Parts: sequence; structure tokens; C-alpha cells
Amino acid sequence: MVGKLILTRILYAVLTLLAVSVVVFAAVEILPGDITTRILGRSATPEAVAVLRKQLGYDQPAVMRYANWLGGVLQGDLGTSLSSQRSVNEVIGPRLANTAILALCAFVLSVPLSLLPAAAQALKPGSLLDTIASAINFVLLAIPDYLLASIMLILFVVVIPVLPSTSLVTDASGFWDWVRALILPSVVLAISISIYAIRLLRDGLIDVLSRDYVRMAELKGMPLRVVLWRHAFPNAIGPTLNITALNISYLIGGVIIVERVFSFPGFGSVMVGALQAGDAPLIEATVLIAALIYITANTLADIGSILTNPKLRSAQ
Amino acid sequence: MTVTAVSPAISAPARLWSGFRSLPLAMRCGMAILALHVFVAMLGLLWTPYPYDAIGTGVGATGMSWQHPFGLDQLGRDVLSRVMYASHIVLYMGLLGTLFGMFFGTILGLLSALIGGWFDAILQRFFEAMISIPFLILGLIAISAAGPRLASNPTLIALVVGIVFLPRVARIARAAGLQVVTRDYVTAARLRGESYPAIVLQEVLPNCAGPLLVELALRAGYAPVLIGSFGFLGFGVRAPMPEWGLMLSENRDLIMITPITTIGPGLALATLVFGLNLFTDGLARYLDRAGLTTAR
Repeated sequence: MVGKLILTRILYAVLTLLAVSVVVFAAVEILPGDITTRILGRSATPEAVAVLRKQLGYDQPAVMRYANWLGGVLQGDLGTSLSSQRSVNEVIGPRLANTAILALCAFVLSVPLSLLPAAAQALKPGSLLDTIASAINFVLLAIPDYLLASIMLILFVVVIPVLPSTSLVTDASGFWDWVRALILPSVVLAISISIYAIRLLRDGLIDVLSRDYVRMAELKGMPLRVVLWRHAFPNAIGPTLNITALNISYLIGGVIIVERVFSFPGFGSVMVGALQAGDAPLIEATVLIAALIYITANTLADIGSILTNPKLRSAQ
Repeated sequence: MTVTAVSPAISAPARLWSGFRSLPLAMRCGMAILALHVFVAMLGLLWTPYPYDAIGTGVGATGMSWQHPFGLDQLGRDVLSRVMYASHIVLYMGLLGTLFGMFFGTILGLLSALIGGWFDAILQRFFEAMISIPFLILGLIAISAAGPRLASNPTLIALVVGIVFLPRVARIARAAGLQVVTRDYVTAARLRGESYPAIVLQEVLPNCAGPLLVELALRAGYAPVLIGSFGFLGFGVRAPMPEWGLMLSENRDLIMITPITTIGPGLALATLVFGLNLFTDGLARYLDRAGLTTAR
């Protein structure tokens, strides 16, 4: 029963990803300007254009090109970047690794940043602490990530000059270069994720804390700490999983902004560069990867909540 | 819904005032902030201390002074003037984009709920795919697809915001619509042989107003953020036209010398979003109190 439910969910994810590939391919297809003139320049002879069109397969109808492209993608070949003439895998690979490190740091930081305030607020809802924390949260909610990044730059680069203003890392960067480079971008990302997570977690925890089994544990004389970590948190994990998935989609968008602010050489900057250059294969690949990450995270979260929720398990 | 009889002796402004007083505090504060923003936007359209695109109104890249409270950017343009002039552009794009997304999202979502079957299934798959592309990326693709000639056009940016919002609005509208379409009055309308658009407009829409209003306010609050991210990444309106996100990126390099040039546009953006968030929060509470948040 559970297996069937999970299988359906996975099938859904694959279908959605397929639909994304169609949407992306169609959007890139209607990108303005002929792809060949973009490569060869405006003064190219018609013969040269014709040769290149044939070479790139642009003399075939769009449906055929889509099929070829999808076939390649399924075999792990994302095509060749138009602007650098290198394979897309080669261009994206190292950048994706950089961004994965950044995202992981941000994610690890965001766990205590969201759990601790949420727990403190949920333990005494309506208290002065809760009210002040909620108010701060509400103000921070109005500050977009690019503005938050600027504020952090002013604080830790201008007012207290301890950190570098750009996070350029290269192959030659040592461990401490990486640490210094990663602090500001990952803190900005972590804060902007936590702002959303805290609100949801707080409400979820308050709900769980009012349940009978938590009351029972409290009445047994269990220390509050144990009640919270052993009884309340595990039961708030279902919703938390969904928040995590949401965070990952947010991370993908946030990464683009943060990489731009701090000039971090990652996946987001490749995507922005590809869009600015009209580099079709690179755009298609980056968007597809972003969607793949989002869909995978969402599907895993759904499967997680199917597995942890006995009601959902027996429903179908 | 109850209709309160109002005695004609009370004047219209007084009635408006007492109506305003009965709204949640958050909503009133939000409305006050928004009113201030609208005022500044109108003022910025008519008058700014210096022309927004005038180069060299003082020494470039200098900080706060009485003549230039928000400082001067690299080209010596007055940042306060640019922030003020940007107001109406941001409000225009945000409002138009939100309304566009709400309008088509609501119609498609409600039709999807009403018609069901294959129409619903196909539309849902399509929207699901659009939602799987993070909204910033979806917006950037849409702007790139429109081409360089249209790219910096404020109306196009607004349409892109609408396109990004559309599938998300449609999902909310569909969920709200599904609760309504099985009601007797909808069945009656169907049996009368009324067309789908007529049923959506006359029967379904009015009964889904609560959740859709909250969605509208929520989207309006996110629109300036999204527009700012486009500008910040260089995909929004282009210089010399000012926009807060664009200005944040223009003045990013000045952050070591004159941080005030980024604080100015940042403050404008944050207060607008804060006002819209307050308004949304209050509106949700108000509708909740009136029992309007769930579809009837």
C-alpha cells in the first residue's frame, strides 16, 4: 500500500520534470535572434550560417531537436555551450560543486537559527520574548535577500571590517580562504531561510505541545527539555520536512542573488551569465538541474511524510 | 453577511472613518505606510529635488548632506531624487503584475475546478511544471525570451511578474473553487444551462473572495521584491531609469565609501514590503474574524 503510494509520487515527479523540460525548451526556442547570428556575428555569409545551422541541427524541426536533446540529457550529455564551446557538463560541474558547498553551509547554519528561536517562542507563546521575537521576524520578513546582503556588507565589511567584500574562490584557494569567503554568503542565505522557517516551526510546535501525549509527559514530571526534544520535535518533523523542501526551492533562488552580491563563482552565476549571453544549451541545462533539485526535494519530503504519518499510510 | 443600517444623519467621511477604525491595527498601520508610499510616488512623479537622471549634481560618490540626504552615486546623481522617482515605477509594475497574475490565475484556477476532467488534469500538470522552476529563474527566462528590445520595458516586467504569479494563484483559486463547485447553487446554474464563464463570475467567484483577497495582498507584497531581484541582477528596467533593486546593485561598489547610497533605496523597498505585509496580516485577521477566509 505504502509502496504503491510512493511509486505514484515518484511517477508524478518524473512527469513533472518532463513537463518542465518541454516548458524550458519552448521558452529557449523563442529566445530572440537567430542562434547562428549570435555565434557568427551579423556579418556572417549566408553559406556559413547554413553550414552552422546544419552542424547544430537547427535545420531540423523543433520537435526533432527536442527529442535529440532529451535523448542526450537522459544519457547524461547536456550539450555544448555556445559561448565557450566547451561541454555543458564541464562548465557546470565545478560551479555546481561550489554552490553545493555554499548551500550546505547555509543549510547547516539555518538549523539552529530556525529551531532555537522557534522552540523558545513555542514554549511560552504570548510571552514578552515571543512577542518581541515575532516582531523582529516580521520586520526581517520585509527585507529581501539582496538587501540583507547589502546590510551585512555594510555591517561586517564597512563598519566592522573583518570580512572580505567579495567571495571569489579559485582552485588555488586554501581552506581558510574558503571559510572567509563562505561566511557572509552562507549567513545571508541561512537568515533568509530561517525567517520563513521560524514562523512555520513555531506554529507547528505550539500545536504539538498542546497535544495530550505531551501534556502527559509533562505531568509525569519529565524535564521540559526532554519533553521538547523527545516528544514534541519528532512529531513536528512531518511539517518540518515540507519546510525543508520549501527551503531548498528558496535556496536555489537565493543562491543566484547571493552569488551575484558576493561574486561567488557558483551555479547561479553560470545561469545568469548563460541567460545574458543567450547560451541556449547552458540555459536549458541549468534550469533543468534547478527544477530537478526542487522536484527531488519535494518528492523526498512527501515520501518522508507518507512514511512518518500513519494516517496517510492507511488512507489509500 | 449582515448589513448594518446606517442612519443618514452620519456623514459619509465619518462613516468611512468609523469603518477604518474597526479594522485590525496591523491593517491600519499598513494602510498608513502604503498611503505614505503612494504620496511619495505621486510627488516623485511631479517634483524631485534634482532631475532623477541629472549627472553631476554634486561631487560623485559622496555621503549624506543637507543638499543630498541619501548621498550621490558614482555619476553624481542625487540618490533621494532617484529613490523618489523610482517609487511610481515600482508601484506601477508591482500593481499591474499582481493584478495580471491574479486575474488570469483566478479565472484559470476556478475554471479548472468547475470543468474538471482532462481540462483540469492538463492545466494542473502544466502549472505544476511552472511551479517547479523557482520563481526567480522562471522570471529571468521569461524576460530573456522577450528579447533585449522589450527587456527594460516596465510593462513587460509587470507581465513577467504576472506570469510567475499565475500558476500559484491558480492553485489557490482551484482549491477554493473546489469547495464551492459542489454546492447546490452551482449545480442549479449548471442545470439552467449557463455558460462556464457566467457560472465562474456569478456563482463561484463571489464565494471564493476571502482566500483570493488574502492571496492578492500576499502577492502584492512579494511583487516589489521580485521586481527588485530582476533589477538587481540586471534583468529589470535599465539605467538611467531608476528602480530600487537596480540602484542597490548600481551602488553596491560604493558600499565601502558611501553606504548611505544603498541604504536609501533599501529603506524605500523594505518599508513598502513591510507596509504590504502588515496590510496582508491585518486583512487575513479581519477576514478570519468575519468568517470569510474559507470559501462558503
